[in-house]
Amino acid sequence: MAADVGMPILVVDDYKTMIRIIRNLLKQLGFEDVDEAADGTEALGKLRGKKYGLVISDWNMEPMTGYELLREVRADPSLSKTPFIMVTAESKTENVVAAKRAGVNNYIVKPFNAATLKNKIDSVFTA
Amino acid sequence: MSILDHAELENELRKIANYIVTLRREIAVLQANEMHMKKIPAAGQELAAVVNSTEGATNDIMAIAEKVLSADSSDPTAYKEFVEKEMMALFETCAFQDLTGQRISRVVKTLEHIEARVSRFATYTGVEDDPGFLSEQEAADAARRRDLLLNGPSIADDGNTQPMIDKLLATLRNS
Repeated sequence: MAADVGMPILVVDDYKTMIRIIRNLLKQLGFEDVDEAADGTEALGKLRGKKYGLVISDWNMEPMTGYELLREVRADPSLSKTPFIMVTAESKTENVVAAKRAGVNNYIVKPFNAATLKNKIDSVFTA
Repeated sequence: MSILDHAELENELRKIANYIVTLRREIAVLQANEMHMKKIPAAGQELAAVVNSTEGATNDIMAIAEKVLSADSSDPTAYKEFVEKEMMALFETCAFQDLTGQRISRVVKTLEHIEARVSRFATYTGVEDDPGFLSEQEAADAARRRDLLLNGPSIADDGNTQPMIDKLLATLRNS
């Protein structure tokens, strides 16, 4: 099953520049319905108010990190199935292993390009 | 008190006095006041300026890219002229790198200045590091970084590349 380009996507990052980059890349890939949040707390609020087809989140944010957001999402029965991709500069093995154990669907290390983003989104929806 | 005890005591006091003199000289050479009142704030300002200019330039570059991507290409001549004009603006925007490079060089020099003095101070005084934290806030920040795996961007071979992460995820998926 390919990703539905009409699905709403929530991009979570505390850097507006990065949100703008991801938003533009998603637009080029055909995804137009993109919302944003500046940290995990704001993202959780949005996730509980609207059904998203995908969450793309940074790791290092305050007050709630992307890692905490992932664990909250997986612990909430109404959100637990939401596909979740981590896009982060955290590239150590312990981060990748922790994210995988917490239920991340895919993991992208910054800096990344449009092809990587497309590839990771596709693999989430074809897995 | 015997004469010998008196001489030993005098000798010990002389050693302590000499140590205090050395310590005062080393503290003076450390230039702690200059460090915390001038050099460190100046380095902080330089880094803040780097953050601002890189953010500004990134936004300008993205704005140019967005304009080009959404431009009307139905008239090839006008479109070519428009793209060339925007590409010139792109080159101009990239000039920020020269200034940020100079600012970062100044910060590196400040760090080298601090490193040299702190290292000399530690050597002369022979002090050993206390593994404790300066404040509760510092301890709480360290605990948060440890618990939430906030390592930050890796340097050189410290982290994994995307292909290494893909391989690791595949291994974890199959385990």
